[in-house]
Amino acid sequence: MDNDVILVIVVGTALVFDFTNGFHDTANVVATSISTRAMPPRLAVAYASVLNFAGAFLSIAVAATIAQDVVASDAITPTVVFAGLIGAISWNLITWYYGLPSSSSHALIGGVVGAAFVAAGADAVLGDGVLGKVLVPAVVAPVLAFVVGGIAIVVCYRTVGRLRPGPVSRGYRLGQVVSGGLLALAHGTNDAQKTMGVITLALITNGNLSADADPPTWVIITAATAIALGTYSGGWRIIRTMGTRIIKMDPAQGFSAQGAGAAVILASTHYGFPLSTTQVISGGVMGAGAGKRLSAVRWGIAGNIVTAWLLTLPAAAAIGALAYGVTRVFGTGSLGPAVVTAIGLALVAAAFARRIRQGAPVPAP
Amino acid sequence: MLATVVDTGALLKTVAAAFVAGVGVTLVFSLAILGAARFADLSRDGRRFAAASFGALAIVALAAAAAAVTIGIIVMTRK
Repeated sequence: MDNDVILVIVVGTALVFDFTNGFHDTANVVATSISTRAMPPRLAVAYASVLNFAGAFLSIAVAATIAQDVVASDAITPTVVFAGLIGAISWNLITWYYGLPSSSSHALIGGVVGAAFVAAGADAVLGDGVLGKVLVPAVVAPVLAFVVGGIAIVVCYRTVGRLRPGPVSRGYRLGQVVSGGLLALAHGTNDAQKTMGVITLALITNGNLSADADPPTWVIITAATAIALGTYSGGWRIIRTMGTRIIKMDPAQGFSAQGAGAAVILASTHYGFPLSTTQVISGGVMGAGAGKRLSAVRWGIAGNIVTAWLLTLPAAAAIGALAYGVTRVFGTGSLGPAVVTAIGLALVAAAFARRIRQGAPVPAP
Repeated sequence: MLATVVDTGALLKTVAAAFVAGVGVTLVFSLAILGAARFADLSRDGRRFAAASFGALAIVALAAAAAAVTIGIIVMTRK
């Protein structure tokens, strides 16, 4: 009975994480399209939402599951996964509140690493995996996208620089609709799978599925729906940061950032060197700004974003560790996860109530 | 030490492919815009041969961009 209650709590928490992943990462897909007026804001998030939903069905390669190669597999229990999800959700909400784009994948890995560290000791954390699968890609992703985005915008300006601006802007806006769609599909394919992996893992450890089972249809549909709803709800604070605060973008820059971002993400997918979508798009936006002129980038904002990236792993790990510790205070049954869930819901409700009292500081554009 | 924990082969291939695809897609789409815009201008001026050349450039470049998008979707479905 206790195990079934824990399973239900883990599934619910995983879907909440999927929702926060959607609204946190909406900006990656739609921010440049909105800021260059390639699409109206509500239409852009609806478009991204539909393609995120569709993307979740394109591939179910759940083998690349949560924290693989980063945490020893025998240290992963439903309670560790639950505490890791709490760490990831908390960090997603904190960075959303401050309008900072940060990697949901790194937050999830950090949360699970922290929880596994407290649960099973330092040996449970695979240092080589953390370095090779998280830290090195975290450096490569933004630098690569920055350079490709910077070269791409120079190519754009050299090719169409002498044409009348009207047709050029219309052309690049049209291109943004397509490149944004490609990004939304890629995001749905990559990120909805994480939730499918978490839920499938919980079902396997609870004995509901065999070890080599594919995710059931209800898992695929609920994960796709949660990320699509999250995307549609729109994380406007991060959209504003990505779309207007890093650089003031023209349609050519928007297309270069999105096109370079999509190319980098798909190249990394093809060659099996996964990179964070958020870091790639942020790097592409900065590169498209710097390619025009270095002073076009607001480096203070860029610095805040990089700081959030540096903090993601340790902060999510600390929250995951704390969540696991609090859970274990109440024993090994379902009471601990239930109490942590209740505390989490109360904190979120308090934060939203405070925001409603203050008025929405960042309304939908 | 870094070389033992990082798949350097996959990393180098990713970097090379990202450069080719990112800059390549931007170039062909920019050429499509150039072709379409010059086609419209030259057609208005009655310069049919030059207009047709830029029209052909726009069509070929747009086809290349569409092929790149198709390849992208195939990469997603095959991963």
